[in-house]
Amino acid sequence: MSTRWFAPAPTLLGLCALALLAALPLALTPFEIRVAQQLFLAAAMSLAWNLLGGFAGYWSFGHAAFVGIGAFAAGLVGTRLMPPELAAGWGMGIAVGAGGLASAGIAALIAFPLLRLRGIYFAIAMLGVSQVAGELSANVEWIGGGLGINLPDAAPDWLAPETYFYQLLLGCLAVTFVVAVSVKQSRFGYGLIAIREDEDTARMLGVPTERFKIVAYVLSALLVGVQGALLAYSLGYFTTQSVFRLEFSLNMIVHALIGGIGTLAGPIIGASIMVVLTQVVLGNLLELHLFITGAVVVVMVLAAPGGILGLWHDYKHHRAARRAGAAA
Amino acid sequence: MLLLQTLVDGLILGGVFSLAAVGFSLIFGVMGIVNLTHGIFVVAGAYIAFVMWHHGGIDPLLAIPPIMAVLFAFGYGYQRTVIQWATERASIVASLLVTFGVALMLRNVLQMVFSPDFRSIAPAYSFAGVSLGPIRMDFVRLIGLLTSLVLLLVLGLVLSRSAFGRAIRATAQQPLAASLSGIDVRHVYGLTFGLGAAFAGASGAVIGMMLPFSPAAEGPWTLNAFVVVTLGGVGSPQGALMGGLLLGVISTLTAQYVGPAFTNAMMFLVLVLVLLLRPQGLFGSAFGESR
Repeated sequence: MSTRWFAPAPTLLGLCALALLAALPLALTPFEIRVAQQLFLAAAMSLAWNLLGGFAGYWSFGHAAFVGIGAFAAGLVGTRLMPPELAAGWGMGIAVGAGGLASAGIAALIAFPLLRLRGIYFAIAMLGVSQVAGELSANVEWIGGGLGINLPDAAPDWLAPETYFYQLLLGCLAVTFVVAVSVKQSRFGYGLIAIREDEDTARMLGVPTERFKIVAYVLSALLVGVQGALLAYSLGYFTTQSVFRLEFSLNMIVHALIGGIGTLAGPIIGASIMVVLTQVVLGNLLELHLFITGAVVVVMVLAAPGGILGLWHDYKHHRAARRAGAAA
Repeated sequence: MLLLQTLVDGLILGGVFSLAAVGFSLIFGVMGIVNLTHGIFVVAGAYIAFVMWHHGGIDPLLAIPPIMAVLFAFGYGYQRTVIQWATERASIVASLLVTFGVALMLRNVLQMVFSPDFRSIAPAYSFAGVSLGPIRMDFVRLIGLLTSLVLLLVLGLVLSRSAFGRAIRATAQQPLAASLSGIDVRHVYGLTFGLGAAFAGASGAVIGMMLPFSPAAEGPWTLNAFVVVTLGGVGSPQGALMGGLLLGVISTLTAQYVGPAFTNAMMFLVLVLVLLLRPQGLFGSAFGESR
């Protein structure tokens, strides 16, 4: 197994795509920029979920916990612990970092007991974690999630706020993607996939399953925490309701499922399809969103359990097999 | 005395939790399917009872048999189509996702038909109560508890005494051996699912009398069922009863002594502790194959 850390062609292609996307706000309306923000955030969250759920097969039903923890940690640091003159500029960077660290720290604390649970029990325990964290944030007065937290304006004067957060979220997605690629190509990534395929065998063959699971969990929480903190700043004012949302937990799964769970491009493809579908195509049919999301999930599971990338691979295999048949 | 009253309230609430969870437990125990549509069945039962009471003046308790019939038919059809497709083509995990997708769709349908507002059913006797010394019990809640216990007993007897129950238990233990002995396994799966849905619907009628409900309540009721089943152990009415009573007491004690905002937090804390310390549930598992 040779591990390539650097592949020139894809890297160059990726950088070009990134530059193109970074220049795009010049040509977009504010509404389109907001949709793109949501898309980047959803894709980054789903990718981070995928580190644990897709690679290691530990499906979390409560990753919104880390969105919320990141948002509240950033909010508390940004409004309570920092002098106001700092909070506007570099303060946001510090607060967002604190959001990521708080999320990773709490994940590290609960990782050992939680990751002893498998399958549906882990999924539901995580759902419980997000429920508990959300209720605590709303009811503990010092945190103040019930009333909400008002963050200082972070965008510089020379840039429209929506463009500023567009760029930040794009950068966040790019970093998350690079992390996911490096994980997937490393020994660690292969270990996680071995855990997904058969945890007991992997352990028997010398994969440090316990350590790998915990590292994947904490890494996933770190990324989602940063994303939650960025979300909080882009919202400006947020409450428990706006960050500890079941929807976040669900969308992370649904987007990965649609694109292809355990793949690198899958979560991005899935997030693009669902965000465009729900925000643009069905933007005026708000009361039907649940129905459509549900129907998409049902159809995907029944018709294409491997997601869109799975369908694509099947198609390629099919064609290759037919060609081989014709040649023989 | 406050403690005693809290305990009694908790046990009454717990009886209803048990009834609401027993169908989930049955489906999970026999088929290994985590049915995330369960809460929809509960809420649908409540809405059917509401419609019958509101438009026909029919008492929710009398509405239970027709509700069970409707949901039995729905559950059977649902299992023989969507869920069977999912489990046979893909996997058990796929069935989890499919039931989740269907739950979202049905919740949306309920919201469009009945609006997202809270409803409640208030029969004429809903404000009457019984006092036993210093302990006071609402008549409605007492009836709810009794109904729950009777229905749980009926289900227990069906499972342990009837030929149908024997077929279900045989299928749960060994689907292949059961089919070799002449049992139509797919049909039994359908019937089991129907039975689970019917009991969920019946609990909906009882819940409708005791607590307000809305389409969005399906999520909490599904979770509640999961917690009850995990606490008590999978697959048996006894396990569901024990888990439900325990959960009821935990939730009223927390609401009384810690604060009403923390009941869910406490519930999940206990759940995670039980999962870690005694993963087969407090009272073991009658079917023993789903873990």
